[in-house]
Amino acid sequence: MGAEIVIQTENLTKVYKRLFKAGKKALDNLTISVPKGAVYGFLGPNGAGKTTTIKILMDLIKSTGGTAYVLGKPSYDVEIKERIGFLPDSPAFSPQLTAYEFLNICGKLLKIPSAERGPRIEMVLETVKMAPHMREKIGSFSRGMLQRIGVAQAILNQPDLLILDEPLLGLDPYGRQEFKQIILTQQARGASVFFSSHILSDVEEICDHVAILNKGKLLCAGRLNKLLGASGFTAIIPPNNDEVLKELITMAAKTSRKEDGAWILTFPADDEIRGKVDAVVSKSSDKINVTAAYEKLEDFFFRTLKEDNKQ
Amino acid sequence: MNEIIAIAGSTWKNVLRLKVVYFLVFCVWVLVTSALNYDVLSLGLHKELLVDASLLLNTIAGVLVIISLTFEIPKELKEGVASTMLSKPLGRTHYLIGKLVGYVVVGVIVCSLIALGSFFIFKISFSEPIGMIMLQSQIMVILSLIPMAALAVLFSIALPEIVAPIVTVLVVWFAHSSAALFNIPVVYGGIIPDLDLFNFKADAVYNTAITWNYVILVALWGIAYALFATALASLIFSRKDIR
Repeated sequence: MGAEIVIQTENLTKVYKRLFKAGKKALDNLTISVPKGAVYGFLGPNGAGKTTTIKILMDLIKSTGGTAYVLGKPSYDVEIKERIGFLPDSPAFSPQLTAYEFLNICGKLLKIPSAERGPRIEMVLETVKMAPHMREKIGSFSRGMLQRIGVAQAILNQPDLLILDEPLLGLDPYGRQEFKQIILTQQARGASVFFSSHILSDVEEICDHVAILNKGKLLCAGRLNKLLGASGFTAIIPPNNDEVLKELITMAAKTSRKEDGAWILTFPADDEIRGKVDAVVSKSSDKINVTAAYEKLEDFFFRTLKEDNKQ
Repeated sequence: MNEIIAIAGSTWKNVLRLKVVYFLVFCVWVLVTSALNYDVLSLGLHKELLVDASLLLNTIAGVLVIISLTFEIPKELKEGVASTMLSKPLGRTHYLIGKLVGYVVVGVIVCSLIALGSFFIFKISFSEPIGMIMLQSQIMVILSLIPMAALAVLFSIALPEIVAPIVTVLVVWFAHSSAALFNIPVVYGGIIPDLDLFNFKADAVYNTAITWNYVILVALWGIAYALFATALASLIFSRKDIR
């Protein structure tokens, strides 16, 4: 396994045994690689096998086939967890403990030296905006506050790899924005982030890699911009440039107008059209931006699932 | 070792902050004190009755604390508290031992409070010194928590959530009844612990001396049984999926 890969699964399979019934295949030969430094979105509808995969990676669930390596070690290696931060899908903690006490126990388990532990706890609570509640019992926290404590315990050890199961669930729009910032800060620090989510707009905003799973099978995986692909290109025509607009609008597949009066023309991915557009643009005295148009992740996600469900 | 202490610490902190624990202790004190009312009914044996009641009720309180462990572990597994803890560098065996130690500590605190309260009630009621056998018999009640807690851990891992407390209660009852049910030798041959070994009620009531060597031997037996049950629980837990 290459040193630059932080998660590697090969033919990972999980069959849940059921009494008096055939086993339920939750994962079917899943093979994925998560490169170091990536923010990797793990997508799929409910029951696709996302949580099962994450729990196998955290050795909470035992696979029935295949292999899973995390940070170069088998996923069942206990010591490797010192370098991982994990947030479960519905975080729950001992309700009678205060936020500080809970994080202190996490710090002890993560072998953070006692002198360093206190300041580190205060810092992560500050990061997740829970510092004013550090002496309150966890049992009195709302869903969103629990999610924040979950994030705090996940980043307490400044992990090399963050594995997050639905981290944006239960957070208000402000919380989601803050959380996305935390993910990007962790990435900037050098950590890799692997997370599952249903909120595709957020995934599109922060992820550079994605994988889509359906009924336990991997449908596609890779760099986000490569997967979404250039489905054409757009040209933005400044207001009052009717001459250029007249020449280009007949070739456009889609048109829309901005508030300032500028036109956005979307053209199909066709070399001949591209040549004609470039010729018109080069003659224009105004600066006209021509950029590749990518498919929206949401459209790509639904198209991929639809195609799979048809089979 | 640090991991075990961390889990045990979080467990006893979590449980000892529940008001119901102190309500249990208070109820036992009230019931022990009420033994004094039976001087006529017991033909003047209310002193013996008080000693017997304090030991019996302390045993019941200990059993109740241990039974709550069979609710705690499945609850933590179901709600995800265990997942969060086990996502840290913490082995599953360490987690189980931490829970066991945590509950034994809670049991020791509860039973010690009851024992101290009972001694106080005895002292002010009869103005007599607390005999060594009374102290030893209360210590034995506390020591019996170790194999009982190990049984609770085993059943809470091996059995479904609803079945585990029922089976634990039944097994603990059988284990305490070995003197009455001695004609089932196969069962008491090591599968079910003989908790009657920890029962010095009669000795305490009639002030019969027992040696400290015997106390130590029984304690060692309890620890050995706890190790066996915890090892079995750990083996089962290591193969279990935590959803």
